Amino acid sequence: MKEMTHIERVTASLNNEKVDRLPAYPIACGVLRKLLKNGEITYKEWCDNPEYFAKSFMLGQKKFGFDLAIGLMDLSVMASDLGAGVRMDRENTPFVDKPLVHCLEDYEKLEVPDIKKGRTGVLVEGTKLIADYLNGEVVTSAFLEGPLLALSQTAGAERLFMDMFTEPAPVHKAMKVITQYDSEIVSAFGETGIEAICWDYLWGNYAVLGDSEYAEFEVPYATKLNKQTVDDGMTLTVHNCADLPHLDVQVKQYKPALYSMAYYPLIEESPSASKVIEDGYADNCVIGGVVEPQLFMRGTVEETRNATKELCQEVKTALCKRGLNSTYCISTGCEIPPDINTKMENITAMMDAVKEYGRMDDV
Amino acid sequence: MSKEEILKDLSDSVINYKLDLAKSSAQAALDADIDPVLAINEGLVKGMGVVGDNYEARKVYLPQVLVSANCMYAGLDILIPAIPVESMKNSKKCATVVVEGDVHDIGKNIVKTMLTAGGYMVTDYGKDIPPETIVESAEKDGIECICLSTLMTPTMDNMKKTLDILKETGYRSKCFVTIGGPPTSPKFAEEIGADHRDTNAQNCVRWLKEAWE
Repeated sequence: MKEMTHIERVTASLNNEKVDRLPAYPIACGVLRKLLKNGEITYKEWCDNPEYFAKSFMLGQKKFGFDLAIGLMDLSVMASDLGAGVRMDRENTPFVDKPLVHCLEDYEKLEVPDIKKGRTGVLVEGTKLIADYLNGEVVTSAFLEGPLLALSQTAGAERLFMDMFTEPAPVHKAMKVITQYDSEIVSAFGETGIEAICWDYLWGNYAVLGDSEYAEFEVPYATKLNKQTVDDGMTLTVHNCADLPHLDVQVKQYKPALYSMAYYPLIEESPSASKVIEDGYADNCVIGGVVEPQLFMRGTVEETRNATKELCQEVKTALCKRGLNSTYCISTGCEIPPDINTKMENITAMMDAVKEYGRMDDV
Repeated sequence: MSKEEILKDLSDSVINYKLDLAKSSAQAALDADIDPVLAINEGLVKGMGVVGDNYEARKVYLPQVLVSANCMYAGLDILIPAIPVESMKNSKKCATVVVEGDVHDIGKNIVKTMLTAGGYMVTDYGKDIPPETIVESAEKDGIECICLSTLMTPTMDNMKKTLDILKETGYRSKCFVTIGGPPTSPKFAEEIGADHRDTNAQNCVRWLKEAWE
């Protein structure tokens, strides 16, 4: 089979058609800032400047030849604009260090911020630039925090989980506000030309919430946002890097075109790539997983290459057994550590290994 | 109320998420001259053990565990000050802490809860704590097991720094060190010289019990 373009490969994979090789997308986002201005751009500068943000994805595409581009910034964008305190270290992912909710009444004080301003404004503008730079070369996607994740970041996760159980009414009121906030961002993304939205629905995770809790506190809100994503002309994709994801809801019920997930081999019941395929989750959805992200910081080129090779072989065997052509994307399940010491040569090693061992014309 | 009824109330308060009952039955235990250590172990801790087992079996989830833990701590706040210092001398001392640069502490708090339910004296050093402070505090408090946690990759190096300082000060030989958090691995634990790494709080407690046997 002749070599496909990135878009041809991903489009074929989304339709379970034959591909030259498995698509590949290591979730390299913050780390790509190292490609800007000889590595002199700090994390803080990167996520505060739409031009830096988008250009890093463009340079990453040029250097590594990914099959997708997903504009993940970090998970504190919405909390920041809702008023929570966010700590921005020079070279670390920004994170919430001063949650906003200290009593039940605080849930009811949350208001949708002006999405043209603040960090949301940077994210929307940066996403538009990604679409401008990369549409036509790869499938482009925005990245957006799901409402329960955004609320947990804003309120503090521990506080939120306890209040969900003991005082659900104000939590639901806050969820409605956050869902409206998400909805406005979806509309704004819809105007950027970006082709997909990747939702982070982290708390659909059996280590944290059971079926009934998840069904009550995120599913109705997420369902509305998923529908809007599609109605606004974008492809629905979902990311969840938790250990025990609610696959039946997040894959079979939400019906994303692509589902990005992690794998924790030391956690009993954490589903491996082959298990996910064997259980039918890749039948109607491209599953993205899982070369261990820590390898990119602490592993060697050889270790990264071998891990990618093993995953390709596992996936190809499982797809073949299931009678599937191509519904798996070799990815990393979680973001590659955006650390200053992350080894860019390991990203190259992963992409090279997929080109060699992910070929599907030998299956 | 009989001693058995009070102990049952203590346990049930944790199992059934009854904060007021946890406080009132803890006070009732003291009023009835029940040994506070017995009230903790046969009441609150016993109840938390049931909740921990239910969590492991996925009969309950994190929200319920956190609320149960809250009840247990409310009871402990009343009972612990009543324990004669002599009675606490033989309890093993653990510390839980999120290393500097990170404030994600749910995992650390679950470990703290399960260690407490396991009968250990747990001091929580909090989050975003520098390696030097962790080591100084552990030495001062006579901690016998330090549980280090982080959710983020860049801050994993502060686990290593903590181990390095423990070695420099000579205190490493006097305590176990266990690490946890999604980016960590057994290989990383080995690399930095920690004794153990876990992703499951109850497994961590089991490991510690075996290590101390």
